[in-house]
Amino acid sequence: MKNDSTLAYLRRLNPVPKAASVDGADLFERIISLPRDERPAPRRSATRRRVALVAVGLAVMALLATTAFAVANWFGDVVKPAVTKQEYKTAQSELTLPPGVTWPELNVDPNSVTSRGGGGSSAVMIAMGSWECYWADAIRSGDEQAQQRAHAELNSLFANHVVIAPAGASENWFPIGHPFPVVDRELPLDQAAEAHRLIEERQTFGKVVLKP
Amino acid sequence: MSIHFDRQSAEARFREVFSHLGAVTAYARRRGSRDPDGIAAEAMTIAWRRLDDVPRDDPLPWLYGTARNLVLAEARRAAPSAPAASADGKHVDQPPVELDPTLERALRGLSQLDRETLLLVAWEDLTPGQAARALGISPVAFRVRLLRARRRLQTSLEEAQTASPPPHLNHLDVEGT
Repeated sequence: MKNDSTLAYLRRLNPVPKAASVDGADLFERIISLPRDERPAPRRSATRRRVALVAVGLAVMALLATTAFAVANWFGDVVKPAVTKQEYKTAQSELTLPPGVTWPELNVDPNSVTSRGGGGSSAVMIAMGSWECYWADAIRSGDEQAQQRAHAELNSLFANHVVIAPAGASENWFPIGHPFPVVDRELPLDQAAEAHRLIEERQTFGKVVLKP
Repeated sequence: MSIHFDRQSAEARFREVFSHLGAVTAYARRRGSRDPDGIAAEAMTIAWRRLDDVPRDDPLPWLYGTARNLVLAEARRAAPSAPAASADGKHVDQPPVELDPTLERALRGLSQLDRETLLLVAWEDLTPGQAARALGISPVAFRVRLLRARRRLQTSLEEAQTASPPPHLNHLDVEGT
């Protein structure tokens, strides 16, 4: 045993070195005459079940989102495309500015909905058509102070990430991404400066909407 | 027609499984069963009933695992002094195999799982992968268990050689420590 490996030692002392010689013909016939267990249909593996569950979940969510968008669009709550940069350029080309007056730099994408300062109180919505009128009226008035004020206010509007609604937008228009904004109050357009004061002093909870 | 075909297919497949009857009988004898033929017959009956669970490529480890459970159950049922009886109630006078006394003492010093790990490889000539399937553990775990069991058997053999010879034990205590 000293020079023998453990397994070889065990093999050497195997009490039944060969398989038993059994005539099992009769046993075989008896066994196959017995009924077999009914086996249920194989279940899917856990991984496949999880993948299928996630796929179904995604499909349901996509269906719900599509349905909600379609319903909201049907009622006009959503979501006309906001003004594009090209439209902004077109508006620039259609208005002749007096000497010394320049268009404000459009430093935000009008299609984007942004907010600043938290609490949803930093964005001001203004109807594009009214904005054009306001701007045009200031220019046409010939009042240099009015032009400068309008210029400054519009610059301020853009600097504060104003959300611009498209011309002709309904009263229920809200920008994409903010389908149900909290509106603190609505002010007439000529109180834009007051709107900004309220926002900067954080006296609003929600958005201030400038109405023409 | 389909049921008939399934039946034929199952019988053909079971015939391959049944060809291991002698090996299963020998396994039961090596494990000290008092009724190795009955154990093998019962294992084959279970294999027939659950033929879908029997691996197609290599049914032998599955059969050994089933026979092992049956031998364990037989040992639990049998009182130490009660005469052995076969499944059909007839007394079986087949003497259990006799082991080398030193080896028997050494094997008794091992746990039941260590003993089975060693014997599946040494006596049943299973590969570690097959033996792992018979025990329902992973091949890696089996190799680790085999290594430790060999060391324990080595120690147990050395102790058994120095100890006094045991009283005659004609049945491996499958429930022993």
